[in-house]
Parts: sequence; C-alpha cells; structure tokens
Amino acid sequence: MVSAPVTLSPAHLAPAPAAAIAPARATEAARVEISLRKVGVAYSAGKEGTKTVLANIDLEIPAGEFVVLLGETGCGKSTLLRLMLGQEFPTSGEVIVDGKPVKRIDSRTGYVPQKYSLFPDRTVLENVMYGPENARAGLLGRLTPSFWRFRRELREEAIQSLTRMGLRPQDMKKYPYQLSGGMQQRVAIAQALLMKPPVLLLDEAFSALDPSTRSSLQELLHSIWAESRPTVVFVTHNTTEALLLGTTLIVLGRHRDEEPEKSNVLVAQQLPTAQLPFAQRCNSAEFREQHEFLERVAFASSSRYRTQPPAQEGCHA
Amino acid sequence: MNTAFHPADLAGIQVRPSRLWTQSLGWILFAVGIALYAQFSIARHKENPEDRVVPSAQQLIQGIKSAALESAEEDDPVDANAPLIERFSHSMLWKDTLSSSKRFLIALVLLIPAILLGLHMAVFPYFGALCLRFVTFFDKIVALSLLPILFIVFGIEEWSKIALMVIGVAPTLILDTFNIAKGVPREQIVKAFTLKSSDIDVTYRIVLKQVLPQIINSVRLNLKPLALFLFAGEMIAATDGLAYRIALMRRHMGMDIILPYVLWVALLLFLADAILRFTNRRLHPWYQPL
Ligand SMILES: Nc1ncnc2c1ncn2[C@@H]1O[C@H](COP(=O)(O)OP(=O)(O)O)[C@@H](O)[C@H]1O
Ligand SMILES: [Mg+2]
Repeated sequence: MVSAPVTLSPAHLAPAPAAAIAPARATEAARVEISLRKVGVAYSAGKEGTKTVLANIDLEIPAGEFVVLLGETGCGKSTLLRLMLGQEFPTSGEVIVDGKPVKRIDSRTGYVPQKYSLFPDRTVLENVMYGPENARAGLLGRLTPSFWRFRRELREEAIQSLTRMGLRPQDMKKYPYQLSGGMQQRVAIAQALLMKPPVLLLDEAFSALDPSTRSSLQELLHSIWAESRPTVVFVTHNTTEALLLGTTLIVLGRHRDEEPEKSNVLVAQQLPTAQLPFAQRCNSAEFREQHEFLERVAFASSSRYRTQPPAQEGCHA
Repeated sequence: MNTAFHPADLAGIQVRPSRLWTQSLGWILFAVGIALYAQFSIARHKENPEDRVVPSAQQLIQGIKSAALESAEEDDPVDANAPLIERFSHSMLWKDTLSSSKRFLIALVLLIPAILLGLHMAVFPYFGALCLRFVTFFDKIVALSLLPILFIVFGIEEWSKIALMVIGVAPTLILDTFNIAKGVPREQIVKAFTLKSSDIDVTYRIVLKQVLPQIINSVRLNLKPLALFLFAGEMIAATDGLAYRIALMRRHMGMDIILPYVLWVALLLFLADAILRFTNRRLHPWYQPL
C-alpha cells in the first residue's frame, strides 16, 4: 500500500503532530529511527538572559526515510542536526536515535558538513579507510596479520565505493586540497557511507557547489539512498533541492519570542513527489505546486526567495 | 607583452621582475653593508694602524684563523699541517659551538612536553579550564627576572641555563599550540567521532597530526627567543659557549673574534630554521599555508 500523495495547504502551517509523518514505503510499520520529544534549545545571551532557538519540537522519523530539512538561514536547522548528532544537547526534552538517547557523538550517525568535511592530512583513500580501520581494531590490534588482511579487503571496498562516487583511480592518492569542492563532497559521502551508519546527516552538503556539480551529486545521493535505504536527514535552504531529494519534508521557521510555546516546525509532511521516478520529479505538476507553496511558507519573510520563479525546465537548484 | 625594462618600473606595483633581477637585488644590501664596513675600517686604520675596534680584513682573517683553526687549549695541541677538519675540531669556535648547541638541543627536547600540554589543553575542555589562566599568567613573568632564583635552585652549572631557556619559551609555545589546536574546525572533530575515533585518536591522529606543520613553524619562530635566553645565561654564568666567548672578548676589545662569532651564530640559527622549514615541507606535502 502506498499512502496517497498529500498536497500541502495552509492548514499545515499549524505545528504538525508527531504522527503526521508516515513511512514512505508504508507496507509495514517501519521502525522509528530518530525521535525528538518536546525538544527545546536556548542559548544564553548575556544580559538579556537566554535566546530560544528551537521550541517544542516533536518529530518521529521512521527508518529509511529521506528527510529534507528546509528553512531560512538562522532558523535552527544546523542546531537540530547537532542535536541528532550528539554535538549539542537540548535544553529541554530528549533526542533518541536508533533506540537510545543521544549522549555523545558516535558512529550511529554519519556526518557530511558543508566545509572541512575531509581530513586535510590524509589522502582520499586514507580518508575513506580511516573509519572502518578504527572500527576494526585499536592501535595495538593493528599489528596483527589479520588486520592487514582486513586492510587489503577494505582498500578494495573503498576503491569500489569511490569509483561509484565518480572518482578516477588517479584521484585516490590525492590530498583533499588537490580536489575540487564537488570531488571533496563525493569523497566525504563515501567516507561516511563506508561506516554503514543507520543514520546519515548532511548539513548543506551541496550548498557551496556550482549548479551542475550540485545536480549530479543530488542524483548520485538519491541513487545511493535508494539502494541501501539509510535514514537520511538532509539540511538545505534550497526548495528545489528539497523537493527533488526528499521523501519527507520538514520546514522550520524562526522562533519568535512573542509566541514562546510555538513549535518551529511549520510543516512536517510526506512529499508527493517522492512517488515519482527521480528523473520526472522536477517537471511534475506536484513539484510546481509544492514549490510555489513552499516559497510562500518556508521563506515567507525573505523576499530573496519570493521573487525566484519555480524551476520549470531541469532541476537546477 | 612588452618585456623591455624601464627604469620607472622599479617603483611600480604592477610589474613582474625577472628572476635575474630578484636574485641580484637580494644580494645588494649585503654588498652595500660590506662596502660601508670596509670604507669605515680603512679610514680608521689610516689614523691608527693598530685599531682594534673596526678590524681590517687581515685582522678578521687572523681572528677567524685563531678561533677556528688553532687549538683552544695549550695541553691539547694540534699539528698546524693537519687537515682543516681536524684543526677545526680542536678549536675554540668548535668547542664553544658544541657546548652551546648541547644546551640548545636539550632545551628543545624539554619543550616537547610544552607542546603536548598545549595540545591537551585545547582538546580536553576540563584540562584547558584548569591550566589556561595559570599559563597565561605565567607567560607574563619576565623569564630573566627568574635568573637569580634559578641560580639558587639549580646552581650556576648547566641546568640553570637550560631551565631559563625552557621557562622562557615554554609558556609561549604552550599558548601557541593551544591556539593552533583550537583552530581545528569543529567539523573535523565531530567527523572523527562519527568515524569511531577514541579520545586518543582525536587528540593525536586527528588534531596533532593536522596542526604539526603549524607547531613546527611556531618552534621556528621561537628559535630566536631560545637563543636569546641561552645567551643571557651564558653571558652571566658559564665557562664556555658562544655567548661566553663573546662576553669574554669584549673585555679584551677582541672585535676580530666577536664579529666572526656574531655572524657564525646568525648562520647557525639560519641553518636550524632552514632545516626545520625543509623538513616541514617534506613531511607534510599536504600543508597549504594560507
Ligand atoms: N553556540 C551558539 N551560541 C549562541 N547562539 C547560537 C549558537 N549556535 C547557534 N546559535 C544561534 O541559533 C540560531 C540558529 O542557528 P543555526 O542552527 O546555525 O541556523 P541554520 O543552520 O538554520 O542557518 C542562529 O540565530 C544562531 O545565531
Ligand atoms: Mg546551518
């Protein structure tokens, strides 16, 4: 059974209940991978006391979902991601990933930031092999012959995975500074994926790339996701990118002190475009409809986005 | 493109000097310095052929010979026909260089814990909170003012001089390492933890490995203060060493020895710096200074 496409309407402007997000392949009730319960985040702001960034966030993200997290700059997207990552902790409420409360950063989550995603002192191959090597053995365990056998196999696997990401053999011995931004992000994704984490978090991972590099990476990320179905949370402030990639959409708005209890979640919704084959998504009627609506909802306060017409031909975000 | 050279180019910004120009320009001020010195020395020797304040070329060569090729001690004579290397190895200059270098290297090795301290302060928040204020305060102590205390504690032998060097440079190096290691983007550390790194992995295999070239550069910058403290110690209390000799020669107006010693020290520091720079480049081909 495939749930019916949901069209967004202004009614969804109200904070969506946690149950609003159903699994995309709703053949059986999918396991909940990430859940946030009554989460709030406030930073201390000197004399003015505290500044609330996130309030009353309730989300349940089923396993295997591709969640796009959309919202204007400064609304707290990265903060929300840092909570799932364990880099930061909520002022109130709790965050649960893979069944356990998040207490520290660990290998439950894979992470691809916008910048500084690779270790500059390691070659492409060393970068990608770093994680699985750690997972296999501590420093002393590396002295055993079985580790070296493992390493040879891992190397093959890493090369395969990098090739899949579009790297040529001669690139694999290069250092990150010798690669273009797009290549670096390809390697960063391969690096995260080789750990086979149940959750993959990407924070504006493609935002610094030029449009054509960006769209080829979008396609790549989609096909990789479709193969092994990790739970992905993809932060972006680009509507086209969000509609193209996501199965589930979460739109965050900026917290306003006038409404201290109001949740930042403006929309939490399955995307009708997810039912379409990837290549057809951006020319579909669903896409245009969603796009137009989102431009009004997500970026209502920012005129920069309002004037931008919905993408008609191609999906250049 | 017009590549002909116009004199007006010399003062321009939008010009690209040829390699020949840049190479030769780099030596001009050396030549000017030597010429001025020679001029001055000749003028003084005209008035007084025995002048020792601005030694002539002959006097300098004689000074270098006696410092670098003649035996330092009477009970350790060296054959005047022996190979230069052997004569040098018995000389005053060699012995002074050796004892100064020994102090210098011991101090450098003792500074390694300072680097590790700064690294740990940057990586471990509680440890950083414990140490930072104290080190920042300690850094403001004028190390030379501690010299009397060091003499009392360590005696006037080797260790007081080495302690002066270490105490003088360590706080700077700790704070420098701290700042450099703090500069590692948060993303790198987060990423490392998602790739199953332990705390030790993050400290040494991620942060230290990544900032090592910058730390080596910081050590390079600190070679000069290190030499400064060494010289202060040697001039006040020592029985050998490069600075001891310079201080001793001052009493005899031995400019023919002092000048070569000064240049020799500069050359040694220049070489130490060049070796570190070269090693840094070879070991860290990935390092791209901004
Ligand atoms: N460590 C912090 N201290 C104080 N304020 C912060 C901190 N981190 C983020 N903020 C504030 O939280 C808000 C949301 O930031 P962020 O999550 O980075 O937004 P986004 O990723 O959506 O652009 C911003 O207004 C930012 O100034
Ligand atoms: Mg952000």
